[in-house]
Amino acid sequence: MAKYRAWLGVILALTIAAVVIISQIPTRLGLDLRGGSQLTIQVQPTEAIPTITEREMEAVQTVVEGRVNGLGVSEAIVQQLGNNQLLVQLPGVSDPQQAERVLGGTAQLEFRAQRAGTEQQLAIENQVLQGHLGELAAIQATLPSETTVDAETQARIDRLQADIAGSEAAIANLFEPSTLGGDQLTDAIARPTSGTLWEVVIQFNNQGGNAFAELSRAIAGTGRSIGIFLDNRLLSAPTVNVQYAETGITGGSAVISGNFTAESARDLEIQLRGGALPLPVEVVENRTVGPTLGRDSIQRSLYAGIVGLVLVLIFMAVYYRLPGILADLSLVIYALLTWAAFNLLGVTLTLPGIAGFILSIGMAVDANVLIFERTREELRSGKTLYRSVESGFYRAFSSILDSNVTTLISCLALFYFGAGLVKGFALTLAIGVIISMFTALTCSRTLLFLAISLPQFRRPNLFCPGLTTVRP
Amino acid sequence: MKLNIIQQRSLWWAVSGLLVLASLVAMALSWQQFGAPLNPGLDFVGGTRLQLSRTCTISETCTEPIDLTEVRQVLSQQGLDSSSLQILGQDQQVLSIRTRNLDVEERATLQSALDEAIGPFDASSTQIDSVGPVIGRQLLSSGLLALLVSFAGIVIYLSLRFKIDYALLAILALLHDVAITVGAFAVLGLVLGVEVDSLFIVSLLTIVGFSVNDTVVIYDRIRENSKLHPGTHINDIVDSAVNQTLGRSINTSLTTVLPLVAIVVFGGQTLKYFALALIIGFLAGAYSSIFVASSLLALWRERSGQAYTDMALASSDDTSPPESFS
Repeated sequence: MAKYRAWLGVILALTIAAVVIISQIPTRLGLDLRGGSQLTIQVQPTEAIPTITEREMEAVQTVVEGRVNGLGVSEAIVQQLGNNQLLVQLPGVSDPQQAERVLGGTAQLEFRAQRAGTEQQLAIENQVLQGHLGELAAIQATLPSETTVDAETQARIDRLQADIAGSEAAIANLFEPSTLGGDQLTDAIARPTSGTLWEVVIQFNNQGGNAFAELSRAIAGTGRSIGIFLDNRLLSAPTVNVQYAETGITGGSAVISGNFTAESARDLEIQLRGGALPLPVEVVENRTVGPTLGRDSIQRSLYAGIVGLVLVLIFMAVYYRLPGILADLSLVIYALLTWAAFNLLGVTLTLPGIAGFILSIGMAVDANVLIFERTREELRSGKTLYRSVESGFYRAFSSILDSNVTTLISCLALFYFGAGLVKGFALTLAIGVIISMFTALTCSRTLLFLAISLPQFRRPNLFCPGLTTVRP
Repeated sequence: MKLNIIQQRSLWWAVSGLLVLASLVAMALSWQQFGAPLNPGLDFVGGTRLQLSRTCTISETCTEPIDLTEVRQVLSQQGLDSSSLQILGQDQQVLSIRTRNLDVEERATLQSALDEAIGPFDASSTQIDSVGPVIGRQLLSSGLLALLVSFAGIVIYLSLRFKIDYALLAILALLHDVAITVGAFAVLGLVLGVEVDSLFIVSLLTIVGFSVNDTVVIYDRIRENSKLHPGTHINDIVDSAVNQTLGRSINTSLTTVLPLVAIVVFGGQTLKYFALALIIGFLAGAYSSIFVASSLLALWRERSGQAYTDMALASSDDTSPPESFS
């Protein structure tokens, strides 16, 4: 029995750990449960760029990320989906229409000349903007993830975002409108110079090269800069050396140098390339759930889950008596372990995910049912209680294994080929199935053997009511 | 209770055959009406669904249910006459509109027009589902691919664990369950206008997993019995295997269906039909495992001259429990 005591210790420890995990790590709720917008953005090939490669997707993703940041949604996620789509998740977005408009446009990259006499103003505005950005980043860093922000903090965030938008507009105002845009930029490449410094080389087509020569000639030596704007936000404002005052920077290519690290040079490269891409993006899927509606869904699914679980617990206890009650105990442990596993693995719980969880309860019960039915059979055939329980577990094992493996095969197919919600369902069901095998084979087993080590429980009638077979 | 599986097999097959036939007829009718075996939802054909709830803090707006004719007027002003409408919720204050795929501008115009005419609507309980036709096709083909791959995976696994004929018959039973579930939803689509979404494909896949479970447990028992009692006719082996596992089959079906019934009763709109599909599929699965897969195996063994011994399997691993003290 020492073996089972040790197992009991392990199970107790796991259960306590599970409770601690559940209380410490919050459950990640999907957008369908807490409200928010999920957009799928398709990148459209054009005549100029008929196939979309990894490099282009990277650039488009950066552009979209920049726009998402501009929306000011905290915890937004942008992911690549397949080879020409992006999945954008915007929790708690208040205006899905605006989000869709902002995210769906083609990137606008522009090279603009700075207006005369605005040198100091630019420096000041930039400083103010950096201040706002820093403050916002500091607030967001202290926010606990996945919880709703209190009203006061939210108001501060909203104000800061308004300030940032204001600063950006003010900065844009310091530059003259221009016709030199991303469509005339052919490439941008980050490269190392001497030492640890980096620079970014940009290349224009013929027309762009001429326009850029013109622009740089006008600006050269004035101390003003050429503002590079992406979606109306200033990326960089390099000045032009006086030596180009005669002809401008000719030849269709230029180098942006400055205080670039490898990382910042690469960031600029990707942003420029994103702006250079004449790739239209289109929002092809929008799933938005209002926050109140989401809360309602959680409540309903929770009710369904609890009612379902209670019905199963009652059935097991009534039908299987003592082992049923023990199975109930291990079922509750199963539910706790699975919940903890979700939190620990960072599984995002969606509505179908909860359905997968509820379903896996059914699977967990099945393992116990198989074992107990087998135990009863062995008892009826006249074996001792201990031997019956032992062979109940032993003989049921191959059925449990086969049935769970087939379910896991389905989960695997669903997870690999399915999209969005389907994946969530497959993942929760698979985690549930794996943990259910563990609890059926350890928990139920340990509890049963410990029970029959106590004389008051060692009565076959508690396992199989109405047992009539006389022991040989 | 003792079931005579083999003796009454023509009865079981007739029941199954009729159900499958009815399902096929329903799918054919559905094909005539919708151009697909099921009433395809937004997820597969694309479109926009708006679900709006009226704000009920302003009391006079909520005394009467939303007036559908008013909604229709607004829709026809927007050139969206062919949209389908539904009033939901206990107090009939929730409006669900399904239209062709609207872009963001069209959607915004429609929403503000509705807000003005019938609203105000509560922005925090609005639901928008807008799916382009490309995504729809993608969801469908990825779903069907997942279905086929899991079929293949299950055949391979069962062929390794059992024999190829067990595997193929299990798949046959599984097709039966899938057909009946699809048929039931074809009927629901025709009668109640129930649409299937990508969750329906999920439910089919889950049914596949569960149905095989059931079949495997019985096959497991058949295999074990043929090892324990070599020289017994396959019919008797199947009969006793089914009866030995009957308690388990009934209890497991019951315990899995119980939480699903809870979802149907308490769950939200989206999950209701998902759970219903699972209930139908699981019940069909329990039936086909008990009555169809087992009796087909017996028939197959008899016809192929393997009615008595199953040497290949009998020589494989021993299943008696280990003798041990602990």
